[in-house]
Amino acid sequence: MANRLTLRQNIESLELTSSGLVAFRDAVAKMQALSADDNRSWMFLAGYHGFPQFQCWHGGRIGLNQQALTYDLFLPWHRAYLITMEHTLRDQNAAAALPWWDWTSSGSHRVGVPLAYSTRRIGKTPNPLINGPVPEVRSGRVPGLPPSPARKTTRAPGDPEDLPTADQVNSVLALTDFVDFSQQLQDIHDQVHGWTGGRNGDMGTIVFAGFDPIFFAHHCMIDRIWYLWQLRHGVQNVPPDYMNKPLAPFPLTVGDVLDIHRLGYEYAQASSSHD
Amino acid sequence: MPKAPATKSRKRVAPKKHVTTAIGTESLATGFVRADLVFDGLDHSGASFEARIFINNPDADANTEMTVQNRYAGKFHVFGHGGCFGDVGHCEVRGIPRPYDPRPAHPLTPMRKVVIATEALRREIKRSNGKGLTLTIVPIVRSGTVRCDYENVLKFDGVSVVTYA
Repeated sequence: MANRLTLRQNIESLELTSSGLVAFRDAVAKMQALSADDNRSWMFLAGYHGFPQFQCWHGGRIGLNQQALTYDLFLPWHRAYLITMEHTLRDQNAAAALPWWDWTSSGSHRVGVPLAYSTRRIGKTPNPLINGPVPEVRSGRVPGLPPSPARKTTRAPGDPEDLPTADQVNSVLALTDFVDFSQQLQDIHDQVHGWTGGRNGDMGTIVFAGFDPIFFAHHCMIDRIWYLWQLRHGVQNVPPDYMNKPLAPFPLTVGDVLDIHRLGYEYAQASSSHD
Repeated sequence: MPKAPATKSRKRVAPKKHVTTAIGTESLATGFVRADLVFDGLDHSGASFEARIFINNPDADANTEMTVQNRYAGKFHVFGHGGCFGDVGHCEVRGIPRPYDPRPAHPLTPMRKVVIATEALRREIKRSNGKGLTLTIVPIVRSGTVRCDYENVLKFDGVSVVTYA
């Protein structure tokens, strides 16, 4: 077991009471129960992305006045983030693995957010995938800003028909240049964040998105699409000057995260139109 | 970057659209295999939004259907920062990195968005008879916080047409 690849599965293929999903929920609940100051906690890990640490790579990092920086670590940074989160979950429950949310599926285009992330209780137990804890944002730091007490994340998802389609993903998978592919995939990613968060929901903005458990299922889908692209266009297919770029705060470089098997995980086969 | 004034009860107003001046098409190669609309210096510090692009349709707005008849060209999405959640100055973008500064660019460094709009540009260049292309960019806010300036969510330095032969 210890040396096997972790198998990430499509959330829609998992029954709510399947052993894999039970283990995943158990790990998430245990992390959510820890305080924000504990570096094993949900809040601590979520805080890498937006508030309060703002380490994530978004926006392409194109320089001021069109003085372009030459690299964009959106995909490798989030791969490093996912593997870190997955191992932290497995510290709580060794059988836990991140699932992916295929927002192009017919099920998603019918109901939107998958049942695993929208069902309030599983039996008598509250579902930890409904929302996540957000720490207090102190008041008085910027004049005029309201205080924000500790709370749980919320969502206000849009019309399921507005989610990205398999055709969109297939168009992106056909692109042959990594930077081109990354930019176009990031736009689809941006679309899903806005759709899931809705008017005031946390998934809709960088500051709090990482606190919502569905963030990781969304990014698992993005990571899987990158993996599918790599199968077509080459695992090592990134500009050479990317290879040694560090992915702070994780102890990994771009070169370290290109091969998912070397990272110890695999994506289950799926009967979707873009596999 | 100017920070949106924040109040407890910020009202959401309709975001302003942007209509460009005419972009000349004389220098574009004909017979291209791909054509992009490239937005540079795009602000992503505030709300998340969808931006719909129409060509030579200055009256387009949020209610305009995204159809060939309405000269729709494509759209892009911005996953916004959500406003500033730090002390004064936290969201002011550092300038060009000084020598030996190993840190990544400031997270709010303006971004680039590339919209692949090959068929729309082929159609509209032909239709414009050399008079150039005027783009109407209509932002639709998808998500945000009380710290976002919804009215001025769409801000960018410039847009260009890039073709590939």
